[in-house]
Amino acid sequence: MDFRLSSDQQTLATEIDKLAAQFESKPTEFHGFALVSHELENQLESAEFFDIARIPELGPVSAALAVERLARLPYTAEIALSMLVRPHLNGDWPRPLAMVENGQTGRFVAAAKTLLVVNGSSVAIVQPTAAMIEPVDSIFAYPMGRFKGGAEMVPLSAEASESARKWTRVALAAEISGLLHAAIAATVEHLSVRKQFGRPLGAFQALRHRLAECAVLAGGVRLLALKAAATGTEADAALAALQAQESATRVVYEVHQMLGAMGMTLEHSLHLWTYRLKALLSSLGGRAGQAAAVAEHSFSAARP
Amino acid sequence: MDFEWDDEQRAFRAKVREFLAANLPPDWERMAHGPGSKEQSAFSKKFCAALAKEGLLVPHWPRRWGGRQADPWTSFILAEEMWMAGEPRGGQYMNVNWIGPTLMRFGSQAQQEHYIPPMGRGETIWCQGFSEPEAGSDLASLRTRAEKAGEGYRINGQKIWTSYAGEADTCFLLARTGAGKDGISIFLVPMNTPGITVREIPSIIGEGDIHEVFFDDVEVPESARLGAESQGWEIVRGALSLERVGIPRFAFAARVLARAVDALKDAGRFDAGTGGHAARALAACEAARLYSYEIVDKRRHGTPIGAEASAARFATVMAERQVAEFVVEHCPDGLAGGDPVLLAHHQRGIVAGIASGAAEIQLNLIATEFLKLPREPR
Repeated sequence: MDFRLSSDQQTLATEIDKLAAQFESKPTEFHGFALVSHELENQLESAEFFDIARIPELGPVSAALAVERLARLPYTAEIALSMLVRPHLNGDWPRPLAMVENGQTGRFVAAAKTLLVVNGSSVAIVQPTAAMIEPVDSIFAYPMGRFKGGAEMVPLSAEASESARKWTRVALAAEISGLLHAAIAATVEHLSVRKQFGRPLGAFQALRHRLAECAVLAGGVRLLALKAAATGTEADAALAALQAQESATRVVYEVHQMLGAMGMTLEHSLHLWTYRLKALLSSLGGRAGQAAAVAEHSFSAARP
Repeated sequence: MDFEWDDEQRAFRAKVREFLAANLPPDWERMAHGPGSKEQSAFSKKFCAALAKEGLLVPHWPRRWGGRQADPWTSFILAEEMWMAGEPRGGQYMNVNWIGPTLMRFGSQAQQEHYIPPMGRGETIWCQGFSEPEAGSDLASLRTRAEKAGEGYRINGQKIWTSYAGEADTCFLLARTGAGKDGISIFLVPMNTPGITVREIPSIIGEGDIHEVFFDDVEVPESARLGAESQGWEIVRGALSLERVGIPRFAFAARVLARAVDALKDAGRFDAGTGGHAARALAACEAARLYSYEIVDKRRHGTPIGAEASAARFATVMAERQVAEFVVEHCPDGLAGGDPVLLAHHQRGIVAGIASGAAEIQLNLIATEFLKLPREPR
């Protein structure tokens, strides 16, 4: 048991920080939902950061740390599945990677070179042509798209499907952790400067306590996500994803409540994180899906 | 980052489990629900003495005081196993976690030589004289006074909610020697000193757990004071930070959750509804576990600990609450004579958000020290 980063992990975290620093500010003229950065994606690609989980000295924990850090940015790109799921698929599937669940729209689908098509517990892989995918307008702060079908599906074995779902849960938890921390940081800033009744909102205990609870939830998600990445067990992945979606449900409500009308505007950045979180709430069956996975993997053992 | 136990840690845990299996009586689970009861307190002296003989009572203490300077993981694994088993050390867990270490740091040579060896042998029970009728969360407003009288002090006042007071040999007492936070001093007071009266308060949380303690003209020598006069607040802040993550409550909560799930399975009532509810409670337990492990890891590496201890504590409160609610909702018979382990958890779990600093105090600390939100006006 050792929670410190190894020197390799520390070096990588510093490099990711440096890269992220260029993408920390939302352009003031941007009043939309999906703030996508191809430049961010290109830089990650050319630094070979999408493959860090495959490097033994770094591994999935480093990938989870990177996903978590990059999810805090106002800019988005297809990062989480490429960093945490793609390395665990058999074969070298081209990225971007996207997931289509039960015929629903999915994030990054319209730009994907590889699709994971999930139906219930089975997963198939598809390499779509441009004609098979289309962008969809939405208020989710990711570029959303639809898979129209028509491609040859490569079904994964039950074991490979389970593995893909497991690493998707890890990716989900790591990304949600970063989004939660960013949303909370934006809320702290607002509560520190916005004054009502002659004092900053952050000096009102009703808000301080609720935001502190949100911070505790977010920190728990981060630890669970990192542990799940480290152990690679189904049980840990399901627990991390469940706590992530549970916490996101609560925190999204709280931070919007605290931002008031300002949080409803596209001028403020808050929606970039909260409407990504909302897009992730339905992933892999939502909370009920994760809870079922926890029940299956954590409560099936013989009694102690 | 590494989330696995090493071989030595696994072997140590196995040794502790073997010890528990060999030393807990057959009716232990019935006895375990009242940590401050006469029966459990008497048993704790026998049990802790046996633990001490095996080197399992204070392994993290310095060699001088009977320990082997084991790292913080060793004492935390020990604490997990003890708390998960219903805490057969009773109130003596406090000696091990913070009273002993606090005396080692601030005690005079005479105090150390008098009080620490019996703690290390598992022979003595302490209580903490902190809360008062008018000073709970606002502990620094306490009113019990220690006035200079001859060569020592005369103490007058009242403490309340004092755990283990009925069976304690010594009180770790906070009393006022001046004004404000800087006017608080600590006294180590034998509970048989004339003028001390203890009354048990019947409670939901088990027999013998909470008390009122009255101090009427209690005279103590100057040598009973711990540290300098008015150093009390500084000492107690450090002690409380050890106490905050001292009890691995999540471990017992997770055990009870698994036990309740087994009971539901046996009854054919473990389905998507109960399973989903149990899953949420387990996720809360595991989040609390990792928060606590992060603190232990920091202790292990000498990294300063700030508001994370409050976050760990609050995460633990949420975990305790979710498990207690799960049991009440799905296994109510456990609290009605059906399972002493579920009852014991309920009685301990419901105080998690109140003892050693209310949950709301932890949230204040997180808001100010971690989130850096503006302070509330005073």
